[in-house]
Amino acid sequence: MNSNLAIEARNISKTFHITEDSHNTVKHRLFNLFNPPRAKKVEALKPMDFEVKKGECVGLIGRNGCGKSTLTKILAGVYPTDTGTININGSTLLMNLGVGMSHELTARENIYVSASVLGLKIKEIDAIFDKIISFAELEDSIDRKIKFFSSGMQARLAFSIAVNAGADIMFLDEIFAVGDLKFQEKAIKVFESSWIEGKTVVLVSHTMATIEKYCTRTAFMKHGRLEFYGDTAKAIELYMEDNH
Amino acid sequence: MIADVVNDWSRRSNKFERLWLLAKIEFKLRYYENKLGLLWALIKPIMDMCIYYVAFKLIMKSDVPSFASYLFIGLILWNFFIESTAGTVQILNTKKYLYEYSNMNKLEIYVSTLLANSIGFFFNLVMFFLFYNIFENGTEGLSLTNLWIIILFANMFILAMGLSLILSNIFIIAKDITQIWTVFTSFLFFLSPIFYKLSTFKDALPSFEYGNPVAGIIINARRVMMQRSQPDFKLLAFDLGYALLFLALGLLLLNKLGAKAAEKL
Repeated sequence: MNSNLAIEARNISKTFHITEDSHNTVKHRLFNLFNPPRAKKVEALKPMDFEVKKGECVGLIGRNGCGKSTLTKILAGVYPTDTGTININGSTLLMNLGVGMSHELTARENIYVSASVLGLKIKEIDAIFDKIISFAELEDSIDRKIKFFSSGMQARLAFSIAVNAGADIMFLDEIFAVGDLKFQEKAIKVFESSWIEGKTVVLVSHTMATIEKYCTRTAFMKHGRLEFYGDTAKAIELYMEDNH
Repeated sequence: MIADVVNDWSRRSNKFERLWLLAKIEFKLRYYENKLGLLWALIKPIMDMCIYYVAFKLIMKSDVPSFASYLFIGLILWNFFIESTAGTVQILNTKKYLYEYSNMNKLEIYVSTLLANSIGFFFNLVMFFLFYNIFENGTEGLSLTNLWIIILFANMFILAMGLSLILSNIFIIAKDITQIWTVFTSFLFFLSPIFYKLSTFKDALPSFEYGNPVAGIIINARRVMMQRSQPDFKLLAFDLGYALLFLALGLLLLNKLGAKAAEKL
């Protein structure tokens, strides 16, 4: 693998088989031995190549249901690909409204678990712990289980963990929709100042201003196909045409 | 795949810390959520022990010497086996938050959960030592052969891990594996010499200890802990063989089925 690449995907594709009735018990399988389930094929991702260079911020745009989420999950190594090969060089973090947090754990435990999953040592987490709490504005709820948090509090905590712990490769799916206006301003500020410096980022957004501002290259997707990957201005143009 | 894991571990040394962190949190969740805390880990085998003691010693007049200790060591091994197999069938579902947002290796989830169960086991083992050497009359006392329990427990750990991998990955495609395993283990419980006298067990089911790895491990654990003798090496070899076989099968399933856990569960 080329050492300048963070992700190198060749000929990847993904098809979901969606069955109408749930064929997921032994009993059901036995009783329907001669009556196989009717599966509907959904081609979420048509064969494509995709590359992300180290340290680059790439945009990913397209209308709802075009396969953006499926693509990010495959690139992050969460879903396996049906065909082709994929090389991921480093730890990944997929972030939409939350990052992996357990509702049964307290904020403190979640911070340690998530940051550790992202590759930090305990000492390193100790060092940034207060920063994570104060950025998320959760000083009063450190030892409360997050199932008792409001959804805004959970989202702020997730965002704060992602900002302070980070991963080598980050997939950020509409992250600026988190929290109230004040928190959003703070989020944008940290994003611009230091967060993504030296990190590889794939930014998914419907806000073209955001894409335009941060992404050096942008991919435009339509019906599971990678229509265009390159110059950001051109990709946005294609997306705008698609919306009319 | 195993080479990859080892390679990955040596490169990023935070993995051992992470395993321990996850194990500690898992252990705390299980025992410190209630006021009795760690005592819960002890209460289960003691309650079971009382039941079987009443049934077999007082009513059926079993003549096994040091019967309470005989039960105790069998039950703590059995409980570890059940907690680590039946207790982990849905592990890919309950621990989804760990692998749904990153490319973390799923094997770590299993190792950390079994480590958490091991903490409970070793706590109970200490209790067994105290009970056997202080309260039980006419015992053999401490011996160097006791150290064999580490190997036997490692054998049990690998066996339970293999079965845990197999069951939890089958769960992805067949949800009722939970019920099937519950029935199977209650059968297995009666096919293991947990409360029977060993000679009765061997007379009734000749050579069966070679077919049931849980029975083999319990028999050997009693030899090294209570009879000051070496383990039965032939039996130990068989049990290690089973454990490695199940582990290999489990890893294979994790690769085939487990990779799709994030989209199927």
